[in-house]
Parts: sequence; structure tokens; C-alpha cells
Amino acid sequence: MFDKILIANRGEIAVRIIRACREMGIKTVAVYSEADRDSLHTMLADEAICIGPAPSSQSYLNMERILTACVAMKADAIHPGFGFLSENARFAQLCEACQIAFIGPSAEIIHKMGNKSEARRTMIEAGVPVVPGTKEPVYTAEEGLKLAESIGFPVMIKASSGGGGKGMRISRGAEDFQENFRSAQLESVKGFSDDTMYIEKYIEKPRHIEFQIMADKYGNVVHLGERDCSIQRRHQKVLEESPCDIISDELRQNMGDTAVRAAKAVNYENAGTIEFLLDKDKNFYFMEMNTRIQVEHPVTELVTGLDLIKEQILVASGERLSVKQEDIHISGHAIECRINAENPSRNFMPCPGRITNIHFPGGNGVRIDTHIYQDYQVPPTYDSMLLKMIVHGKDRKEAIQKMRSALGELIIEGIETNGDFQYEIINHPAFQKGETDTGFIPEYFPQYCK
Amino acid sequence: MLRDMFKKTYTLIDTKYSASKGNKEKEPSIPQGLWRKCNKCGQPIYVEDVMSNHYVCPKCGGYFRVHAYRRIEMLVDEGTFEEWNQKMEFSNPLDFPGYEKKVLAAREKTKLDEAVVTGKGAICGQWAVVCVCDSRFMMSSMGHVVGEKITQAIERATREKLPVIIFAASGGARMQEGIVSLMQMAKTSAALKRHHEEGQLFISVLTDPTTGGVTASFAMLGDIIIAEPRALIGFAGPRVIEQTIGQKLPEGFQRAEFLLDHGFVDMILERKDQKDTIGMLLKMHGREKGFFQKQRILEKDESLSYGLKDKVKPAASKSAWDTVLISRKADRPTALDYIHGLFDDFIELHGDRYFKDDGAIVGGIAFFHGMPVTVIGQAKGRNTKDNIKRNFGMPSPDGYRKALRLMKEAEAFGRPIICFVDTPGAFCGLEAEERGQGEAIARNLFEMSSLKVPVLSIVIGEGGSGGALAMATANEVWMLEHAIYSILSPEGFASILWKDSKKAADASKVMKITAADLYRMGLIEQIIPEEEEFNLETLPSTIHYLEKALEEFFIRMEGMDGSQLAESRYKRFRTM
Repeated sequence: MFDKILIANRGEIAVRIIRACREMGIKTVAVYSEADRDSLHTMLADEAICIGPAPSSQSYLNMERILTACVAMKADAIHPGFGFLSENARFAQLCEACQIAFIGPSAEIIHKMGNKSEARRTMIEAGVPVVPGTKEPVYTAEEGLKLAESIGFPVMIKASSGGGGKGMRISRGAEDFQENFRSAQLESVKGFSDDTMYIEKYIEKPRHIEFQIMADKYGNVVHLGERDCSIQRRHQKVLEESPCDIISDELRQNMGDTAVRAAKAVNYENAGTIEFLLDKDKNFYFMEMNTRIQVEHPVTELVTGLDLIKEQILVASGERLSVKQEDIHISGHAIECRINAENPSRNFMPCPGRITNIHFPGGNGVRIDTHIYQDYQVPPTYDSMLLKMIVHGKDRKEAIQKMRSALGELIIEGIETNGDFQYEIINHPAFQKGETDTGFIPEYFPQYCK
Repeated sequence: MLRDMFKKTYTLIDTKYSASKGNKEKEPSIPQGLWRKCNKCGQPIYVEDVMSNHYVCPKCGGYFRVHAYRRIEMLVDEGTFEEWNQKMEFSNPLDFPGYEKKVLAAREKTKLDEAVVTGKGAICGQWAVVCVCDSRFMMSSMGHVVGEKITQAIERATREKLPVIIFAASGGARMQEGIVSLMQMAKTSAALKRHHEEGQLFISVLTDPTTGGVTASFAMLGDIIIAEPRALIGFAGPRVIEQTIGQKLPEGFQRAEFLLDHGFVDMILERKDQKDTIGMLLKMHGREKGFFQKQRILEKDESLSYGLKDKVKPAASKSAWDTVLISRKADRPTALDYIHGLFDDFIELHGDRYFKDDGAIVGGIAFFHGMPVTVIGQAKGRNTKDNIKRNFGMPSPDGYRKALRLMKEAEAFGRPIICFVDTPGAFCGLEAEERGQGEAIARNLFEMSSLKVPVLSIVIGEGGSGGALAMATANEVWMLEHAIYSILSPEGFASILWKDSKKAADASKVMKITAADLYRMGLIEQIIPEEEEFNLETLPSTIHYLEKALEEFFIRMEGMDGSQLAESRYKRFRTM
């Protein structure tokens, strides 16, 4: 087991990891930027070391400084959290070269799964269903149209280097295909200097369902059920829950087995997530694999009772998984709301500033993961997520009631948050009926999608 | 504040997770050389990133000096390079003490026998002789062996009728070899002259640093000269100049960009583009000599037909003054629009090799239906900023000299020349007179008259006087329907004859300057139709028309050899 772990991250996830380490008797080293001198993770860790100025490129993304800090503080492992360097194959590789354990999968797997087309190819070979589409890159609209016709409309036109909706277009028929193709390609050329395009079947109003998997160094892989992350705003998850009410035990087993098969196909190790799209007819398609711990991991923890961060540290240190598939039972229902420092009425503009007054809800089945406190100054430099509120009830109905009550108690003053927006979602009849798909926010909250 | 308020001591009640003690053979440490520091920006960088980025710093874009063999790997098609004269006997003409030891040390350090690697290889499928200097070997100074290897490579290229590409880098002559080193300058230059006279192409690529005797010999003799971004290129070193003149030199002095502005390099080329562009240039210079073999590679497009108003009748639909105004409209397509519309793979070449690169004239090599051609145009800008760079389409003497240089290059490699004329007139200013505007125009008329390749000029907007004629001494001259071509502007004409430039409209009527007028007078061969509203949107139909007309022009020229082409051009003007 590790003696000391350096946490190469900030915010609530750094706090979350420090707590897990402390419970395991492992010493912790926090790294912080000049803007995070007073951040909770800096104060909570056993030791803290400043790694540079506020911009992430010079601090939390600066691999050389983090490695140097790790060696200087004599930490024997690095937990990358999520974001920043968590899915950087080069960083994982450098850790290995420095004889530092990287708490996550190997550089090779990160690289393989990070490359969309290679991941897709690997999954097809492993017999995992994927969204029908082109396997080869497409460069011209004429070529694309032929492919689109063979796949069947509607189709999604995607830039190879694209992301965050850029270089993406939906075409519903041959009439608008070429126009959409050219504009997506132009966007990609302008934004990423890359004209490589892919075409795939467009799945209308799917659910975003992801399976948490956990694997050790000895080929043992388990899945920990699903999370429904369909409530999204511009491809950003807003609210997540587990389990998904429309998934039957049989489908869960089928999807879970597929996720395990996918992980085994790449000799996966540590925590990972397989993302699927689930269409109206309950067909599921592999979307991508995330090779890190996710923001929404607490909902899985609440329904399975397993501490995912501890499990990550365990397997990284060479231990076997603490559970077998048959030990895992989903009990009750969990929901997570992400509370961000942003103003929904101003197009979710980030709102950094000083928190002047704060009150957190509590009680049975309410969990809050956060790094904020009274008088904390939210820096403008980083992600705007302030806290994650996660509730656990015996079923979905109870979880919703609990979340509604908890959101009603949550008070953060001094800066704008999306707390009220979350409250509106929880109170929406469609949400309560479980009619959630990735089009939920644009459909029911068009005022927030301008 | 919460700082120092948290309790950080804790005891474990379960030993499940207790740290394994004593197992510390794998102490974390950073291995030596895991990353390096960029010597330009100081940022940590990784060897494999630099290698996969053509030895350019991924952080700051700074160019690192490249080992000769790595350079060849980046340039030459895999497995095609055959090295010549790898070993050559060491020579110490001055019996300079310690020289041999120094060379042996350099050999040991660089794993090279001398400062240049020569041989033959294919670049994008085109064979060429390649010489690469390596600055890590005694600063790639040129001694007898370097001069000899380069000379032998050029001579063999001349015999085997191959183009030569030299990647130059040098601190200058090799001091230890004294006057013998100086002679290498003449030797290499003389070999290049013979190679040139055999009609073969020489591409010189200037890398950081190219100075001294190498700049003053083979490096500056390329038919095409390419430089790497920010490379130091000069004759005297900056330190020597500073000491001599007792002044601090300006930022960017003697850098590649400075040379481009001053007309000494054709282009600055990023490393990642070098292979493709050099491959394309080799293709454009073909191996067949003369226009007549070239013509066979004109891929005729059978589907082409005149779509626009068919062949235009020379009847002016607009008044002369309206035509003048149309020819000057700001949204009228410019030479570059025609060049990009009509030709493929246009590679722009810059500079007159004397003083400057004139933005008012653009020129380069491109393909027309698979046949390489040289295209030159007088370029107006689209907006004020662009127009300042292009001097509102008014060429300086440097522009005409650049045009002539490109035409001579086209003649040497048997490529037809197409000129686009669009200028209010040659630039009239102090500097233009200082550098001989009159001489430059005259020289073009003189030299163009005897070019041994077909020359076509198309007046696309304003054909302003001598400034236009200096690019229109052609086998055929065509005009766009609403272009004008005149002895001087109607304003100038009115002020000379009637002492009132406001009478320009009246002047335009009597001057006979429209396409229809010139056609009737037998001064041009064709009128190219325009759409009613002629701008970038409606340009394609004119381009389509021109494509057909160009094909026919090349077919007309087909039967003539070089001297007949010159003769027909002579006669064309002789009858006027």
C-alpha cells in the first residue's frame, strides 16, 4: 500500500480523495496554484506545495512541476482526479518513468480509448454494439452523402477533432446533407485545422446511460450498475441518477456484461466508465470510454455501498478488487445535482466571487461533496462547479422528495448559482414521471437554451 | 480562516490498509533527460514530441538545427536515398596545426564524415540530387571536402539530368583551410552554372544559419530559393556589422523574413510543408525540355464549352466612361481571384533578387489542366489594409523586375506565361524613380519580345499605360468586356490636353480605350464576356469561358517552336 499520495487536482474532488486517503491511513500531499492558497484541499491535506501561477497550463496541467513536486515530497503515487491530467497518456507514462504509481489505467489504455476511432474499432472487435456509421474518415460532401444514404437518415455529421458541439451537424435528408456537411467541415477547419469528418446514425432523443466498471491488475472486472446522465445542457451533465428506472434487470445485466466485456477487451485496469446511448426501443450503442473517476461517481457509491476512490487506490497498489460481481447489489435510488457558480438567466455565465453566507442541508441520506466554505473566494480561473449534492432514498420518488427538500435548504450567498434551476428541474412533472432524455432541457427549459 | 484548524493526526483502527514498510527499492525519482529544455523558450519539451514535430519546438515554434540524416528522412521518400562520396580523404592544405584533431573530434561528435551529406533520392516520386549541410559539424564551414562533395554532386546531376536541392547551413569558409576554402565558392558556383546551362533546376533551401562564403556562392544561386522561418541569413555576421558601423542592428535584421521583404528569397516554408512543396516544385519543373513536350501533358477537358453569351461581338453596351468606372470598381475580381479560379496548386514566388518584394505584382507557378504554367498578375487589394500592401496595384520597378525574373525562369523551363494586367499605372514616386522605373519597364518590353515560350496577357481591369504594357508584350492580348487599356488615365489625358481633369468623361469617349475599341483597331485578339453584375459571385462563368479560351490558345501555339513564337510576337507589334 502507498505511504503518501499526491493529489494532482483541486476543488471538491481533491477534498474527496484526501478524505479517502485519510480513512485509509495514507498521508496526502496537495498541490495548489497561487490562486488556490486558501482552497480547502490546500488546507486539508497533510502537506501542500505550490506548483505555479493561477492559469492551469502553468500549474495543474504542468506535468513537469507536478512530477517534481511528487519527487520532492516523496509521495509514491499520484491521484489525478478528473479533468486536468487525468486522461493524459503522456502524464501516465511519465509517472511510470519516474517510478510513481499513477492511480488510473496505463498510458497505453488512456491513449487507445482517447482516440475515438481506435476506441470504436476496438469495441467492434470485442462485439460491443456501436452507433452505425463510417469506419473511415470522409473528406467530401459527395462521398459523405453516399455513406449517409447507406446508413439511413437522420445522420450526425461529426468532425474528427471536434468537441462541445463544434463541427457537429444533424442532417435529416439528402436535401440538407451537403450544406450541413460543408458547414460542419468549415467549422472544424477553422477551429481545429482538420477536415476529417465522420458520419454516423443520429439517434433521436436517446438516454445517456453509463456503466461504472472497476478492474484490478489480475483481470477481475466488475460493473457497478448504471447512471442515467441524460439531463444535459450543451453536452454538459447537470443532474445524474442511479439506477435508471426504465432499465429492467435483464437489460442491466446485458448492458453490464457488455461493459465488462469492453473493459476486458482492452485489459482495463482501475476505475472506468463505458458510455452508451439508449434509444427509444432500448437498443444501446457504445459511445466512448472514460478512463478516470467521474464527477458523478457518488450516486454509484450510494446505491452500491462501495467507496470508489478507496477501491481505485487499492487496485493501483496491486491489491485485488474487494468485491466480486455477485456481491454487488443496487439498493435504493440516488440523485446528484451539480451546483455551479453560474448565472442561468445570463446564459450560465460563470460567477466567481466571495461567498458571504452559506448553509448546507443535512440529515439522513444527504451527502455534500464540496470545497467551499464561508468567505471562500471562488477564483475565476477554473471550472465553476462548487459542490455536488447527492441524496439516497429507498426509491426514485423518495430520492426526488429528499433532493427537493435539500435544495430548498441550500443557501449560498454572495455569488449566483444554478441552485434554483436544479430546483425547477426536480419539480418538473416530466422529470418526476421519469421522462428524461438528452433533449430534456432544450424541450422543457427553452428559455435557458438561447 | 480555517487554516491550521483541522486535526490532521489520526490512528488506524484496522490494519487492512497499512503501508508496506521497507519495500522502498522503487524510490520515485525523475530520470535524467526525461524531458529537456527548449533553448528558445526555456519550456520543458519531450524528445519524441520534437521529433514528430519536424524538430520544431511544440511550445514556442522555435526551429532546432537538424542532423543531416534526419533532414534527409524528412525530405526523401523512404528507402530511396543513395549516398554519394560518404568518405572523402581529409585535406589540410595549410598544414594547419591541430586541424586534423578538430575534424576527428567533430566526426566523433556528429557521426558524420564531413559537414555535408550528398546523394540522390526521390521526393514525392521525383528524383533529385540532394545535398544537406549539417551545422553541428564545425558550423558546417566550407572547406575543400565540403566544396568537392557539393561540386561532384552537381556535376553528376548535370550528367544525369537531375535537379539539385541543397539545404544550406554554414558559418562561412573554413578558416583552417585559408585561401583554398575561398576557392570552393567559385568551384561550386561554376558547377551550378553548367548545371543551369543544361536547363536543370536548382532549389536552394536556406536554414539557420547560412552566412559568409556559402551565402556568397551556391546558397544564393537557386532558381528557387526557400528559407526556413527566422533563419539567420547574411553575408557578414551581425556581430561584425555592429562592430564596423558602431550601431545596434534592428530586430529581425538578416532573418529569413527580412530577406523575403528584400526580395532575396522566393518563400519562407515551414518544415512540415517542405517535402510536399519541394515535391510539387520538382513536378512543375518537369524533366522534359521545352514547351512542346509539355504540351502533350495538357489534359484537354472535352466537356468545356463557351457558356457565357458565347463569343462576344465587339459591340460596346456601355458608354466609355461607364466602362472606366466599372473597370475600377472595388468589388471587381482581382488577379489572385483569376489565378485561384483558373489554375491548380498555385505556388507563389517572391522577390526581384535585387531590392524588394513588390506586393503590387504576384507571380508563381501553377498547373493548367495538368500543364505547368507561370502566372503573373498585377494585384489590387480588397480593402485598405490589403491595398497598402499592394500599393493599389501600382507596381514599383522591383515588381517589374520580379515579373521579368519569373518570366525568364519560365522560359528556361519551357513553361507558357499568362499575365493578368490590372493597374492604374506604374507607381509614380521618389523611390520608383531612384530605382529606375523607366529602365524596369523598358527592360520588360525588351526581354519579353524575344521570350521563347507562349505569352498571353489578359487585361482584367485597368490597363494603365506603360505600367500595363510592361506585362503585355505578348503573343496575344485579351481584354475583359469592361476592362480599359490606355495611354494614360482619362483624368490625366483631360488635364494635359484641356488643362482640366474634370473633363475625364469626355476624354474617355475620344481616347478609344474600351475592349470594343481596341478590338476594332486590331490591338487585341479577344474580348472576354462578363456577367451583368461582375463580382466574385459571378466570376465562375467568366472563369469557365476563359478555361475554354486558354485551351484554344495553347492549341494555336502548339505548332510553333521558340523562335517562331518570338517571331510572331515581333510581328504582332511590328504592324501596329
